Amino acid sequence: MASKKTAQKTLSLAPVLDLNEATALHEKLIALKGSDIVIDASAVERVGTLCVQVLMAGAKTWEEDHLSFTFSKVSDAFEKTTQLIGVEIDHLVAKEI
Amino acid sequence: MDMNEIKEIFFQECEEQLAELESGLLKLNDGDRDPETVNAVFRAVHSIKGGAGAFGLDDLVSFAHVFETTLDCVRSNRLDPGPEVLKVMLKSADVLADLTNAARDGGSVDEARSRQLIKELEALANGEVPQASAAAPAPVEVVAKPVAAVAPPPVSNEGFQPVAFSFDDFDAAEEPPLMEMPTYEIVFKPKSDLYAKGNEATLLLRDLSRLGEMSIHCDMGALPTLERLSPESAYFSWKIQLATDKGEDAIRTVFEFAEWDCDLEISLVEDEATQSGEELPMQPVPFDLSILDDEPAVSVGVVEEEEQLASRQQDIRNAAVSAAGTASNVLQMAQSAARAPAEKAAPAASAAQSAAAQQAAASAGTPTIRVDLDRVDRLINLVGELVINQAMLSQSVVENDANGTSSINMGLEELQQLTREIQDSVMAIRAQPVKPVFQRMSRIVREIADMTGKSVRLITEGENTEVDKTVIDKLAEPLTHMIRNAVDHGLETPEKRLAAGKSAEGTVRLTAKHRSGRIVIELADDGAGINREKVRQKAIDNDLIAADANLSDEEIDNLIFHAGFSTADKISDISGRGVGMDVVKRSIQALGGRINISSKPGHGSVFTMSLPLTLAVLDGMVVTVANQTLVVPLTAIVETLQPEASAIHSFGSNQRLISIRNSFCPLVDVGRILNFRAIQANPVEGVALLVESEGGGQRALMVDAIQGQRQVVIKSLEANYTHVPGIAAATILGDGRVALILDVDTIVAASRGQSLKPEMSLAAAG
Amino acid sequence: MKKRVLTVDDSRTIRNMLLVTLNNAGFETIQAEDGVEGLEVLEEANPDVIVTDINMPRLDGFGFIEGVRKNDRYRAIPILVLTTESDAEKKNRARQAGATGWIVKPFDPTKLIDAIERVTA
Repeated sequence: MASKKTAQKTLSLAPVLDLNEATALHEKLIALKGSDIVIDASAVERVGTLCVQVLMAGAKTWEEDHLSFTFSKVSDAFEKTTQLIGVEIDHLVAKEI
Repeated sequence: MDMNEIKEIFFQECEEQLAELESGLLKLNDGDRDPETVNAVFRAVHSIKGGAGAFGLDDLVSFAHVFETTLDCVRSNRLDPGPEVLKVMLKSADVLADLTNAARDGGSVDEARSRQLIKELEALANGEVPQASAAAPAPVEVVAKPVAAVAPPPVSNEGFQPVAFSFDDFDAAEEPPLMEMPTYEIVFKPKSDLYAKGNEATLLLRDLSRLGEMSIHCDMGALPTLERLSPESAYFSWKIQLATDKGEDAIRTVFEFAEWDCDLEISLVEDEATQSGEELPMQPVPFDLSILDDEPAVSVGVVEEEEQLASRQQDIRNAAVSAAGTASNVLQMAQSAARAPAEKAAPAASAAQSAAAQQAAASAGTPTIRVDLDRVDRLINLVGELVINQAMLSQSVVENDANGTSSINMGLEELQQLTREIQDSVMAIRAQPVKPVFQRMSRIVREIADMTGKSVRLITEGENTEVDKTVIDKLAEPLTHMIRNAVDHGLETPEKRLAAGKSAEGTVRLTAKHRSGRIVIELADDGAGINREKVRQKAIDNDLIAADANLSDEEIDNLIFHAGFSTADKISDISGRGVGMDVVKRSIQALGGRINISSKPGHGSVFTMSLPLTLAVLDGMVVTVANQTLVVPLTAIVETLQPEASAIHSFGSNQRLISIRNSFCPLVDVGRILNFRAIQANPVEGVALLVESEGGGQRALMVDAIQGQRQVVIKSLEANYTHVPGIAAATILGDGRVALILDVDTIVAASRGQSLKPEMSLAAAG
Repeated sequence: MKKRVLTVDDSRTIRNMLLVTLNNAGFETIQAEDGVEGLEVLEEANPDVIVTDINMPRLDGFGFIEGVRKNDRYRAIPILVLTTESDAEKKNRARQAGATGWIVKPFDPTKLIDAIERVTA
């Protein structure tokens, strides 16, 4: 059960996270700074390196701000791609309670 | 679509490219230095080379390659396309055309010539510009070698089997034990450009993982916080260990497209100690990557492929049908647009319209569609039916509506007008500019100029004048012969020209224009003109005219159209192939055309041909013979006359002559020849049509009466019935009667004693 | 879902070969005859990958690639260039213009499909 419900924001990722989406995603994340964030990656069909970079930079930034940055749901494609390119997200994925 | 069809498309395209090439080179020859002209020329050769490569046409590829290289020098301003350079290029264009034809039809090419030109082209590319004064190339051994038409190309046939995408890589990776496979360490650092150019590290890593067993470490050390991140820059880099038996080349191939945009180090890990000694936390990459290829892109089942292909073809057909539909819409719109002004100033409007059409044809940007010729012909046939039907309708209304003022009558007039416009417009679909034929002539001129040592300039005008495709196709041969004749016999040698105060270079001018519903093609040379004394003497020697015949200049000039007439003193290679101007005249007449010559001694000759714009309709004289209605092509008729008893002279059993202005002409009873009646009619009761036919012979054709002149729609008898000797085709008149169109040539031949045998070939119009 | 390929080539022969090869391999193929048309149909075609020739009238391959890369919506599309021989200079110019990869003409169908697979997800 989630303990804090204060100022938690949700960001749903687009199905295609390519070069074009990187800038948009970057802007969206910056706009959500200062709150706990839950990322919904369940709709992702394709994700490129640039968007993974943005998300990981986000995770880093949130960590520095001592706020929570978690993935609520991830699609198979999202999980497989991050795994393939050696980007560890397990610790960011919300675990079932 | 299979390989053969694509090959057919390739050859069609070659023809277009060759035409493009030649016209571009000729423009350059005229001093055009527009870079786009050079580019178009380059592209033409490049495109032929590309296609030829795909079909394994090696001879064509290698010649095109050398040609292209030299053209590239021109394109990059390293070689100035002066007259001597262009001479080589024009010849090369001819050789390229020969090679293309040989590849298509299996003909032979002059190998020595193409070798010679390859040398000349290479010399040009190397900066050796030939001197204008250079003598003719050293005689080369001429060996014509047949080129296999469909020489089995190394790749082509096998090349188009359904592509089998192999997933073997996966299986293979599983089989050999890991320990035995060499392990590579790969350091991969993408640059931002890699992503900007559409490459993607995830895909490269995916392909890499398919080569074997992969462990990966992603270095995120360079990744800044969000504020300082530039979302399209590269921050991640990777260190990868890959156990594969595919070799380093396979790894490099994965990075082939990316290697400029990344730092890449590949090294073989020597022993296991080093391998296990790695400190980096490596993630093994799972094998199940199916999610990354969202679907196998290759359909494996052959049946499925065929279905796809079939449905694709259906799509293409549908598209073509709708395109045709659009075309007809456009046609309707154009006509309704044309109709409005046509009411007031019809001739002016239609002239403007045709001028606009010509302009449109000339501009390259006009969108066009390709339509099956069969479809156009079907449309033309249907419109023919419509015209006939409309005429029949009009006639029956006129018969039943004596006062002729009803609204039905007015509507009918409008219908008639519309029908005619539709007919003209439909005919226009088959119309093509004479440009391709004219372009071919420039090659002919070059060849003859080379053979005769004359210097000739061909000027063409009115290339965009349009005429029915069939006319164009049949025009090439007589035109070729006439051009040869003009250069060989018409133009003088450079020395003689200089002596006569002319420029050393002779000019041949080929012009096309529309004049009163026909196309007029003129071929003018500025040579010596017809040597009338010589022609006259020759005609006397050959018993064509009496020694004391009194002929006008024009009549003498036109003697050259008589069979077997040749003014050249000796038979030359060029025009003396037993083919004379009589053959030219006959082929022009077979097209429903006329030809004549006018000549000015010392100033040259002008041949003028006038041809119908279409072979689907014909201007005919409708006549009656033994209660039958016949149509005689107007082009064949010289004049009509009412014979007087005193002019008819009988001799032999049933031969008769008619005297016309002091000369005698055989009288032919059409009704008798066609077996319409058993005994000859009385000439005095009928009308004589003076016709000219094959070999220029004149005959007076006897018919019973003339009904009038009209344009008729030609219906082939062979398609609907059977071949009938003496009859070229049929038509349906306004009152619904079928009328036969007379084949004047066969009738005249039959009157010379040859009977009309069914197997005798007729020059059926259309 | 079928991958969509936009091919841009002025040669009817090559266009047909591409069409047959790509259709046989299960791609959806959209064709344009030169760079100008290629840019015009971009939106309608919405391709996953583009295969383009270099020498073309109106707008050549280099210009076409630059046009795609400047287009906000379509600049991420991988573009493969058809070159007649492995001409280093042309390849270089194509890369500078923003090409993703290249295929050497006369193309081997397997290699063409392979190259497309390599640059598409």
